[in-house]
Parts: sequence; C-alpha cells; structure tokens
Amino acid sequence: MASAVSPMLVRLTEEKATGVLVRDHGALYLVDGEVVHAESPAAPGLDVLLTASGRLPREGWEEAVAEAGVRREVGRHLVASGRLGCGELEICHLGALFDAAYFALTPCSGPTRFRYGVGHWIGRVRPVPTPVVEREALRRGALLDSIWPHPEIDAAPVVPRDPGPGRGPTRRQATVLALADGVRTPPDIARMLGRPAFNTLLDVRRLAAAGLVDTAVRPSGPPPERPALPAWVPEVSDDPDIALLRRLRDALEATL
Amino acid sequence: MPGIDECLLQAMVVPGARGASIVDWTSGLAIGSIGDSPGGDPEANAAETAELARMAAEYTSFTTRTADGGDGELGKGLPVEDLIVTAHNGYHIIRFVETDFDSSVFLHLWLDRDTGNLALARLRIADLAERLVL
Repeated sequence: MASAVSPMLVRLTEEKATGVLVRDHGALYLVDGEVVHAESPAAPGLDVLLTASGRLPREGWEEAVAEAGVRREVGRHLVASGRLGCGELEICHLGALFDAAYFALTPCSGPTRFRYGVGHWIGRVRPVPTPVVEREALRRGALLDSIWPHPEIDAAPVVPRDPGPGRGPTRRQATVLALADGVRTPPDIARMLGRPAFNTLLDVRRLAAAGLVDTAVRPSGPPPERPALPAWVPEVSDDPDIALLRRLRDALEATL
Repeated sequence: MPGIDECLLQAMVVPGARGASIVDWTSGLAIGSIGDSPGGDPEANAAETAELARMAAEYTSFTTRTADGGDGELGKGLPVEDLIVTAHNGYHIIRFVETDFDSSVFLHLWLDRDTGNLALARLRIADLAERLVL
C-alpha cells in the first residue's frame, strides 16, 4: 500500500536519502530516509500554530529563526533558550509535520523532484519513519471520505446554514463555524485559529454531514429543475426531520 | 521539561502499566507510543481512543458549565480532565493534556487489572500530562 502514495519516496527511504522531496501540494524533508519536516501552502506552519494562540510572540519566533536558522537548529534553539518546552515543541511540530505531509502526499499529476542535500532550518525535532507518514496520509484521506465523501468542500469558501432541529455544532466546530463567512476556505480558517488544516477539514466535513455548513459558491450552470412533489408528501409527517432531508438532498445533488 | 519519549517511559513506570501513548484526538494521530497496545496495533488503537475522547471533549453534556456558576477553579482550562474505561482487558486512563497553543492531545495509559492501581495511576498520569508541556 505504501507504494500507492509515491514510489519515489519508497526508493529514497531504502537508500536513506537526505534532501527535500517537492511535489505539487507541498514538500517533505528527509534525513537518512526519515521524515524530519514537511511543508504545504494548505497547512499552517509551526510559526502560525505557536503565534496564533499567543503561546509565542511573533518577535520571539523571528529572533529564534534569526539566531539559529543558519545553523539549522531553530527547533532546538526554541527549547534551549527557554521559549518552549521540549514536549510542546515535539507535539506542535509533529502535528504540523503530519498535517503538511497529508497535503504534500495528495495524489498529483505534476512532477515529483528530489533535491539531495537540502535541509530545513527548523532542524531535527523528532524524525518519523517514512512508511508511518505514508500510512497516516492514506488513513487521513479515508477518514475524511468516510465522514462526508465530497472533497470539493475542503478548498471551497464555506458558510454556515440554518441549523434544523437536531444536534448543533460541538465546541470546536462552533469556533470554525464562527469564521465561515463565505469567503474563507477551511485552510484559511485553520490558519486564523492556529490549528492544523486537516483537523479543520475534519470539522468542516462533519459539519457538512450534519447539514450545518455549505459551500458558498454553488457549481456553475443553470439550476436543475426541481420536479413538483407528489401530493402525498406533506401528508407523510407533520414533523419532518429537516436535517436528515437536507443531508439526503445534498447527497443526491452531489451524485447527480 | 521532558519530551514525548521521556514522558512515555515514565508512564511505563506506573505499577501495572502495559502500554502508553500520546494521541491527537481530532485527527486520531498516534503522536507516540510505547509498550503493548490492545489488539497489537498502536495506530488503530489511537484512532479508536481518539473517537471516545472526542465525544467527551466536545459534547455539551460534558462540557457545558453548570448554570449556578459553580465553575470556580474547575471553570478554567479544559472542560474534561480524564476518562476512565474499566474493561475486561484492563483499565484505560485517558488524560487530556492542556497546552498554551490550540491542540487536542491526550495521554492514554493501559493498565493491567491485577497489578494496576487505578487511583494511583490516575494521579501519576495527571502529573505526567502536566509536565509533558512544561
């Protein structure tokens, strides 16, 4: 299964390569065939995760990069200078690594390149075996699809929709919903909240499955004509489950 | 200020410990694990415990503050401190880790029912969860 993601990555792991693997949606940094860092435009970086919450002031981060960036030891320097605990750095960095790796390993049509010897200034925090990263990326894709199998919502501007009767959003989902203004996409919202993008995609897909969020832009083209409902429909129930009906309608529309 | 590995090693020193892991409960990611895991697959185990933890941490039955304002000291921080599952295969303690950045992480300790002491283990794991992010 691992080769389903990137055959090149399997080969680089076998030869214990060091360098950066660049793909359409992101990059993986390897040291001795293990993943030490990952980046993707869709995933907030470690700096965003740490500064959005106020855990680290922006200047503190920039100082650390300026002081230790050349030596490629920014991670270690953040801990050594007392700005961050070792556990905090590892948890936050691994979260960012797996997050960016999920996007970087998305199937893509563009070229995959590997530049030997290139390192990242964050340095070595907690390397992860490459097969673990690949397995996790596959698991994440399957998890999203098991919740709401319509990936187009991942990159679309989202808006809340009127909750019908039934369960409302959960605590963390509510914070995502509050930022859904019809312009921001799920990755934009993740960046504002200082959360991994994948975690926000999960929330958005769960919200979509619950009928609580919608894409702001409908697919272009003339609206489909809705056939008139048979006369017996209103007689079925005085109290239709609106949330369920909406989910049914969305699912039907998505398959047509 | 121990890192993930040091924290997991210390969890295994708790009497009766069979396995321990650190998991992100939103994504189901196993951030780190040590020892045995029920079923033998730490990654599958992480995904399953994450589901349970998410329900507890997110649903209003457990997270709404009491109406009488009785949230005093407990009102600060995470709404849920820990979960304990008493099962035929052992005791499971899931302790939420509070961080100063936005995260969703817990420590999971799997204890042997015969040699483990639930009360003691709960205190030890609470202490470890706190020190993990110092």
